[in-house]
Amino acid sequence: MVLIVNTTSDHSITDELKNSLQDKGVDADIIETDSMRISHCIGCNFCWLKTPGECSIKDDYEIIIKKMIHADQMWVISDTALGFLDHKGKNIYDRILPIATMYLKFVGDQMRHVPRYKMNTEMGLIYTGEPEVEYLKKWNARMALNFESKSLGVFGRDELKEAVSCMCL
Amino acid sequence: MHVFIINGSPRIKSQSNTDKILEQFTKGMSENGTSFEQYEVSDRKQWDDMRKAFAENKNILIALPLYVECIPGLLIEFLETVEPKTDDSRIAFILQGGFAEGIQLRCGEEYLKILAGKLGCAYAGTLVKGNNFSIRFVEGAERDKITVPYGEMGREYAAKGDFSSEKCKKFTGPEVFPAPIRLLVGILFKTAAKTGLNKIAEGWGCTRPLDYKPYS
Ligand SMILES: Cc1cc2nc3c(=O)[nH]c(=O)nc-3n(C[C@H](O)[C@H](O)[C@H](O)COP(=O)(O)O)c2cc1C
Repeated sequence: MVLIVNTTSDHSITDELKNSLQDKGVDADIIETDSMRISHCIGCNFCWLKTPGECSIKDDYEIIIKKMIHADQMWVISDTALGFLDHKGKNIYDRILPIATMYLKFVGDQMRHVPRYKMNTEMGLIYTGEPEVEYLKKWNARMALNFESKSLGVFGRDELKEAVSCMCL
Repeated sequence: MHVFIINGSPRIKSQSNTDKILEQFTKGMSENGTSFEQYEVSDRKQWDDMRKAFAENKNILIALPLYVECIPGLLIEFLETVEPKTDDSRIAFILQGGFAEGIQLRCGEEYLKILAGKLGCAYAGTLVKGNNFSIRFVEGAERDKITVPYGEMGREYAAKGDFSSEKCKKFTGPEVFPAPIRLLVGILFKTAAKTGLNKIAEGWGCTRPLDYKPYS
């Protein structure tokens, strides 16, 4: 399953994606967050040390994390601000922490958190606006590495075709 | 010099490692008469005052925890609301994280250079340091061991107005650990560190194993 989380209020992007993916016969689950309550991460560490795997903030993010764990791919659609993701987009990543445990290990020459689940969710990003694209690509790759995942790449609103070509199972 | 400081951590001040770091940093910084005002992004009630101070001050310092390889969502939300500067303001950053190696913070550091430009400020450098996860879990000498060295960095910043000195660059420590150290630390992760974490969890009233899987 391809999970698509649209944090922008522009549903024309997801409409386009829906159509293309239907044509390709790809099983997609699309979440529009503009009608959802999603807080920022408050850094309480409860998801690691008090209620392992569960966020202390009881809002709609749980819907996303439950699906993410079982998805083959997760694509986030985000507006940009200050050259990077805007806060709504970044919050989706900051709130991912419950999928990792507090335990540490080395992978190659760097520390990583031991994952909580056996999951193979690859991560793609679609942006609107004008971010520093080269940086965003670097960040997405590094972020994916941190969660022992793989980056599917970073695509602009006008590159949806290219993004869709990566959305296969 | 007068410095406008933002603690960019989403954690409330009393729990924030950044705050404990700033406590020592500002102590060192103040020694030569440098004054400062400090605000917390975790407290939305301060945001109006922060916007005002951002507009009025020319020496800006944002201290922040690394959040998933970049800056925290909450700090982005605040910065989205400030007017970029058009004067000759300078901005410096303290970027601190949980993982111990310098390499873990470079992706975040790279963004901070971009951010300075987007905020209309000259970039006065970033003090980069990992291995800060445990600050809020320890006290006394154990905490001092981690935080007191930031005092010296405060003195460096007060003297130069930036983090360009060799001392500041060296402060990061090793980019990666050599293989024998990794082997040793890897064993610690599976033994003493695990026991320590389980103990903290127990103290917090945790009744489940730390690798519990609520959604599978
Ligand atoms: C949502 C979240 C994401 C984090 N991401 C990273 C990371 O990518 N790399 C890292 O070294 N530390 C990471 N950390 C650890 C914090 O940077 C570290 O614990 C820091 O000392 C917290 O400072 P504070 O208490 O002032 O918020 C993360 C912590 C949280 C809560």
